[in-house]
Amino acid sequence: MSIQIQRGKAITVDRRTRKTPMGQGLLRGLGVIWKHWSASFQKNDSYKKIQGTFTIEYPEERRQLPEAYRNMPILLYDEQSGHEFCTSCFQCERICPPQVIHMTQAKDPATGKPVPAVESFEIEYDACMSCGLCAEVCPFEAIKMDHTFELSTHDHPSLTVDKTALNRPTTYYAQIAPRMWEEVKENAYKKLAANMKRRSDLIGIAPQMQEQLREQLARAPQAEPAPEAVASASTTADDKAARLAAIRAANAAKRANSENGQAAQGDATQSADDKAARLAAIRAANAAKRAAQQAQASEAPETAPSESASPADDKAARLAAIRAANAAKRAAQQAQASEAPETAASESTSPADEKAARLAAIRAANAAKRAAAAAEKGQEE
Amino acid sequence: MRDLIDGLLNTTLGLGAPDWLVSLISYVAIVTIIFLVAPFQMLFFTMYERRAIARMQDRIGPNRVGPEGAFQPIADGVKMFTKEDIVPAGADRWVHLLAPCVVVAPTMLLFAVVPWGPGMVPVDLNVGLLFFVAISSISAIGIMMAGWGSNNKFALLGAMRGVAQMISYEIPAVLSLLAAVLLAGSMSLVSLVNLQAGLPFVGMLAGIDLGLGWLIFTPVGFVGAICFFIAALAEGERTPFDIPEADSEIVAGYMTEYSGMKFGLFYLAQYILNFLLCAITATVFLGGWQFPGVNWLYERAISPANPAGNGLFNVLAGVLGVFAFLLKTYLLFYVMIWLRGAFPRLRVDQLMHFGWKFLIPLSLVNILSASLWVACMQWGAEQGMGAIEGWSPWARLALAFVLTFAINLVGYIALVRIQAPTRRRPSRLTGSIAVP
Repeated sequence: MSIQIQRGKAITVDRRTRKTPMGQGLLRGLGVIWKHWSASFQKNDSYKKIQGTFTIEYPEERRQLPEAYRNMPILLYDEQSGHEFCTSCFQCERICPPQVIHMTQAKDPATGKPVPAVESFEIEYDACMSCGLCAEVCPFEAIKMDHTFELSTHDHPSLTVDKTALNRPTTYYAQIAPRMWEEVKENAYKKLAANMKRRSDLIGIAPQMQEQLREQLARAPQAEPAPEAVASASTTADDKAARLAAIRAANAAKRANSENGQAAQGDATQSADDKAARLAAIRAANAAKRAAQQAQASEAPETAPSESASPADDKAARLAAIRAANAAKRAAQQAQASEAPETAASESTSPADEKAARLAAIRAANAAKRAAAAAEKGQEE
Repeated sequence: MRDLIDGLLNTTLGLGAPDWLVSLISYVAIVTIIFLVAPFQMLFFTMYERRAIARMQDRIGPNRVGPEGAFQPIADGVKMFTKEDIVPAGADRWVHLLAPCVVVAPTMLLFAVVPWGPGMVPVDLNVGLLFFVAISSISAIGIMMAGWGSNNKFALLGAMRGVAQMISYEIPAVLSLLAAVLLAGSMSLVSLVNLQAGLPFVGMLAGIDLGLGWLIFTPVGFVGAICFFIAALAEGERTPFDIPEADSEIVAGYMTEYSGMKFGLFYLAQYILNFLLCAITATVFLGGWQFPGVNWLYERAISPANPAGNGLFNVLAGVLGVFAFLLKTYLLFYVMIWLRGAFPRLRVDQLMHFGWKFLIPLSLVNILSASLWVACMQWGAEQGMGAIEGWSPWARLALAFVLTFAINLVGYIALVRIQAPTRRRPSRLTGSIAVP
């Protein structure tokens, strides 16, 4: 038995062997080189050309790196809230082929339960193979590939990089990969918002933002009293509590507003949204009023023994109430304003929005109540 | 130079210096200048070659050290000096040490006969060309010493190849120079340059002296120049013939075991030899310092023929002459770089084949036409050329030109057709084959 094997086609190169090869081939070769030489004084900017110098003198000139260029992984955080996107889901650690990603999950110090935030995060850059699988697999868009490639150093241990060095603000990533970030941005923030609710205190705040946030917190009470002209030392505690209540109410209203806004994108009539928002605002205002009343009430028994201190307290509480009311009003206005352009598109009523608004109102009320309680407590002390 | 010094010391300053002192001072000055110029030529050539070849390969080339990389060769030199000098175990220590010196020394000696400008030749030897050919082949001994002394098979292989190549290509080089010698009737390089004055035809003057009577404008000179230049490529180990140091086959040939400044000396010798080969090609076939205007200036300068000239014209003629000479030399070196950029290395057998079967017969044909040129231009009735004795010089020139052109062309075509490779049969790989 024999097998017939068809061999592949042999390519015959026409070398143009003439009867009298008088060096024409050599001259043609020289001609090619001459063309390259004379063209080399121009820059070859289009890669369709085969002539011209295409050197990019690297340290001075740099090529625009493609967005999807990947070198080393970095972590992202939101520079507005300071929260990291990472929830320590361990997906990247699991998929990492050279196993250079290490992390520990954050735990709530009060309950000891794990929180969707990362406590420590380390990547060994020296062994990282820049495969980008970690960034591919991350469901929270927390780990991304950086464009920096000049990492050579004499200091080997410095190539084991911790969270502080890995963290980059989202603006940085939006700058190096604008289109890629635009694609995932919404999803990332949605997931972050959900995770932020389960994080308390400074857990999940980027280390470089912690300092800033602490400073903000420290600065807030010092900066505010001056324009308010509430210069009584004894009232500060109450004042603070009341103000806090007002702020919370305002935030709640705002949140209600934003939730409204999100929901409204679907299919809600203007009137329903409007109504819901207004309702929320009214409720918040009422809650704030009630809180103020309660604060007054709690102060009432004490008016008799302490004549000098009470008017101040009273004033502070009233002020807080007014602020809360104002905040609520503002929130309502904003809600109206934000919904206005969407009226045309949305036709049907939405119970969800109403629910959200009601929820916000309840929260505001609760916050106000809590504020009142705090005020009481403060007075008792 | 000697005339200049003599004029300066005895005529201008009136010192009445003895003859031997004038000679001593002038030769010391000349040698100093040459020993300064030679390494700088080498530095310039390395830079020139690297930048030019980079351009041919669509690159920029070294441009980091100094303005446009001008100090790159100096940086390389510093690197060479500071590197460790390694002598391999089992090497023949003294031979290993002497080899670079033996290679460098003759290349320096060659500067003795190169005419840089009008009246600017260190020594006007009446056998200048012979001196050049003889001394330049001494470096083959140095190469063999380097190969032998290194105790390395690659070094020895490279040295053997180098010597074989140099000996083979000496012959066409000498034969093509012989044609020029026939035309000039002298082996002195100065007389060869003087021959190439005038209009674009050797030795013909028609009123004004344009300094363009270069040999390359004649059929004899053209073929001779090409043959000599190809042979020079082989002698200078330039790329189509860089077989002795074929990096991809035998590491670096005879330079494999050399490091530091010993290697630097080989490098120096190679580039200086390349410079000299270009310079000799320019001198013999491209008129050396001959250039429109140089002769006019030199007629008014101080020279043995005209002692009452003006020193200023000496300087002007010298500057223009040296400029023309170096321009031609550098252009020829550009051609060397160009060839390096275009052609791959030959195999050893191809090299021998080309040298012995093509270049030598072609230069022999060229000698024939050179003799005919001389016969047509100079001979009279007593040499058997009575038929054309009465013709005008221009008619004789035309006859010589046509005759030599025809002979050279026919010779070239005949050689090419003899050497043409036979057409290959179609490959057996096409079609199907049966596997049992």
